[in-house]
Amino acid sequence: MLFGILEMFRNDPLLLFIITLGVACSIGGIPPILERIRRRNIENDLPAMLEALSDSLGAGLGLQQAMMAEADRNSGTLGKLLRETLAESHASSFDSALANFATKSRSSQVQRVMHLMSTAIEQDAPLQNILADMSRDYERLNDLMNRRESDLMGRSILIIMFVSVGLPFLIAFIVGLFAPRTQGFQLDSFHSSFTMFFGMASLIAISVSGRMLGRMRSALWWAPLWMAVSMSIYHVGVLVIGG
Amino acid sequence: MRSLDESREILYVIRTLDVLMGSGVGLEAAIHSISQGGYGIISKDFANLMDNINKGKPLEKELRALLKKAETDGYKRVINTMLNNVTQNTDIIETLRKQGERMEESRTEKVKDYIEELGGVPETLLSIGMIGPIILSILGIAPQLMEDAEELFGPMDQGMIMSIVNVGLFLTLLGMAMIGLKAHTKDPGL
Repeated sequence: MLFGILEMFRNDPLLLFIITLGVACSIGGIPPILERIRRRNIENDLPAMLEALSDSLGAGLGLQQAMMAEADRNSGTLGKLLRETLAESHASSFDSALANFATKSRSSQVQRVMHLMSTAIEQDAPLQNILADMSRDYERLNDLMNRRESDLMGRSILIIMFVSVGLPFLIAFIVGLFAPRTQGFQLDSFHSSFTMFFGMASLIAISVSGRMLGRMRSALWWAPLWMAVSMSIYHVGVLVIGG
Repeated sequence: MRSLDESREILYVIRTLDVLMGSGVGLEAAIHSISQGGYGIISKDFANLMDNINKGKPLEKELRALLKKAETDGYKRVINTMLNNVTQNTDIIETLRKQGERMEESRTEKVKDYIEELGGVPETLLSIGMIGPIILSILGIAPQLMEDAEELFGPMDQGMIMSIVNVGLFLTLLGMAMIGLKAHTKDPGL
């Protein structure tokens, strides 16, 4: 049976290519996940930092002092990044330190906040109120983003599992049971069509579930792997069930 | 695509305009600041508007042209507020603040609606994605399964049946993609 399965893979160069591509792309898909976790940690800490800065300004501290105090207080990724940036900023201006902090965070939320802070400093605007407003804004935004993530994650996993695992297994079961190879059924073109179908269906499932969560591009890294899984389940299923 | 970009950026543009104009910066300078980048399609629009103003065209005319170009309701309102400020000297800061609050409420509602609307997508996707291939797989093996029943059903050509199966599978994929497109078109732009 095992040799039969290996033989089957040898006879299907497209499947072998997709498996190889899948393994390579799944390695490429890990950095976007790690980066996203890091970025979301920073973004979830951002409202609390802005609120603390606003409070410190209200207590009479300057912005630079307030940021230093926050860097000492915050033990998360944002605090670490802030400490690093402030430590490196001794040789440069505070404005460039803010820009450096925004760049290092690699987060559009932080970059927008820092840009707005720089503008407010330049224009001598009431920074305490602006920071408090931004804190509220970004807290609501992050709540919405977290809610979308938690509510839609289950559904997106359901789509992938059903389309990429459940469907090929079901069809393989039907075909293997009713038209087993051992009884002389000749279904080469049938298998070829369905293998391609499962590959494409998995690609669509990954794209849809990635889009639902708002990160289709990073989800597509995993598409070749799921395509390979889906196509392999069908091939192996037909072979094992059909004998 | 443009409307998605607009709805994603407009709230940040309002906040920036609020900060800039609240601290005494004029409308044209505020538009120039946003045109420098960071606000996607709106930065591009404003950069284009600034280019035309620098060539000597009036701000009012350019804002009217931008109003026609804008696709989302929120963006249109902001441009309209700017236009009113230019023509009637209205209190733009207060209006922008109110618009920002309203837009934030509507964004929250949109996200809730999006989550609710996508609730049915997995079921619909799975219905089409599973029922279609099950029927087509049975159809595909039917000519060989029913070889002995030719007298009853007449001869069935495997090649023709496979053509039907292939078309059916393609239509199934198309259906799945069309259902999945809902996840893109209804995106609230977070």
